[in-house]
Amino acid sequence: MAVAAKPGYSCPYCATSFNTVDDLKDHVLKVHGTEALPRPEGYVKLTVNGQAWELEVAPNWTLFYLLHDQLGYTGAKTFCDRGACGSCTVIIDGRPVLSCMTLAIECDGKNIETAEGIAAAKHPLIEAYVKHHAMQCGYCTPGFVVTAKALLDRNPDPTVEEIKEALAGNLCRCGTYPQHPIAIIEAAKKVLAARSENTPA
Amino acid sequence: MRSFAHFNAATVDEAVSVLRRYGGKATVIAGGTDVLGRMKDEILPAYPEALVNIKTIPGLDFIDEIDGVIIIGALTRLEDIALNRAVQASCPALAEAARRTASTHLREMGTIGGNICQDVRCWYYRNPDNRFSCLKKGGGRCYAINGDNRYHSIFGGSVDQGCYAVHVSDMAPALVALDAAIKTSRREVRAEEFFKVGMLRTTILDDDEIVTEIKIPKPVGWSAFFKFALRKAIDFPIVNCAAMMALAEGKVTEARICLNAVHGTPYRARKAEEVMIGVSINEDTAEAAGSAAISAAIPLTKNGYMVQIAKTMVKRAILACNCPDKL
Repeated sequence: MAVAAKPGYSCPYCATSFNTVDDLKDHVLKVHGTEALPRPEGYVKLTVNGQAWELEVAPNWTLFYLLHDQLGYTGAKTFCDRGACGSCTVIIDGRPVLSCMTLAIECDGKNIETAEGIAAAKHPLIEAYVKHHAMQCGYCTPGFVVTAKALLDRNPDPTVEEIKEALAGNLCRCGTYPQHPIAIIEAAKKVLAARSENTPA
Repeated sequence: MRSFAHFNAATVDEAVSVLRRYGGKATVIAGGTDVLGRMKDEILPAYPEALVNIKTIPGLDFIDEIDGVIIIGALTRLEDIALNRAVQASCPALAEAARRTASTHLREMGTIGGNICQDVRCWYYRNPDNRFSCLKKGGGRCYAINGDNRYHSIFGGSVDQGCYAVHVSDMAPALVALDAAIKTSRREVRAEEFFKVGMLRTTILDDDEIVTEIKIPKPVGWSAFFKFALRKAIDFPIVNCAAMMALAEGKVTEARICLNAVHGTPYRARKAEEVMIGVSINEDTAEAAGSAAISAAIPLTKNGYMVQIAKTMVKRAILACNCPDKL
């Protein structure tokens, strides 16, 4: 995939790049004599794991490419690159989606959650996955964890059948499938317990 | 992926005008699960110069029920349709078709409009880098006829009878069985008239036309959807079938049966429908209807097995419609 520009802030009039939005605004005001900063397409604002980004992206960048290669969120992996394996799963506005089949330019205003964010929040899923060793080579694991997190957000007490259906789009060639429902059910119990502790009776 | 221009359409008119400006060289993108795969693989002789994103058009993502009529916006994602109570209650075939499509992730991305507008499946047509310049691309010959045709049409060819690629949508047969109407930016057509395979196209849509709404009239009877695929998840159907049966005093008064993945367009099994009219639903009549459904089959060298699966799918779908009390 062609690299068109580094993430940063480039001037829509002359393409000079800047490190911060304020520098860009100063430049636009001084050099081009206008205060209003036009928003050309390719200029997106998005939130990744709570951190806000304002970036310029090329139309043919996938969200996966932006997250993994440009911003360094390497949790999502690419394997099939055609939407069939689930390794590149991220959560966009609560929905588990495939970042390899999503264009970065279409993610303006979206709230994105990756495996890094789930790990940083110390979600019980991570511990449960380690405890039950629901991985072998580990390449597909972030995709499974992100999908499971999206499931638990919506359905805090899933059955084994519901877990199997939610994870049906994640492939694991090591064959760790039986471990995932065990780990997810244990994590779900912890999430529910933590929730009831926090809610006053 | 090579580069292209990208437009976020704010209204249907804006999307149409950009498409018109590019005169067939622009492609609509909604969920993107089909179009991005096509672009990454570069299966087509011409690469789109522009993508028109219609996800930014407000008001096309909804499911409404008005007096039994269900109206679904073209941008409604399949997962939302599968989980919608109104759809589950009156159009079980549609809810089940949505639930059986691909995987959770793809259902969270893919829209109903995109699902019915997806391109046909054939591993020669879809081979990366346009390696087979086949009939549907204007190359003059279908490679499936003498090649490996295990997943190809059993009801003859399309595009002047020469292309054996199949339409694999799960939503399409359900919409045909439920007699849905498809509203586009300029007209409204019945679902079964919407699909038409031609050179590089699978629907009647013009280059500057997009699907906006799908309208399902109040169903006259219970409906059912069955899908046969190698794996339960992700896979496209080998054969799928949707049926709707209206019953009065135990006898079928109206029958609509549609198979898919067996032809270039959803295949309405009219002969099976004729068998069912005026009889009750039981093993024998469903079996007879299944046989009638495949009476016109002309399988290729390696897809004869699909004929038997099609027969069984029709039989099971009919039997599952025998629920007069549920609606």
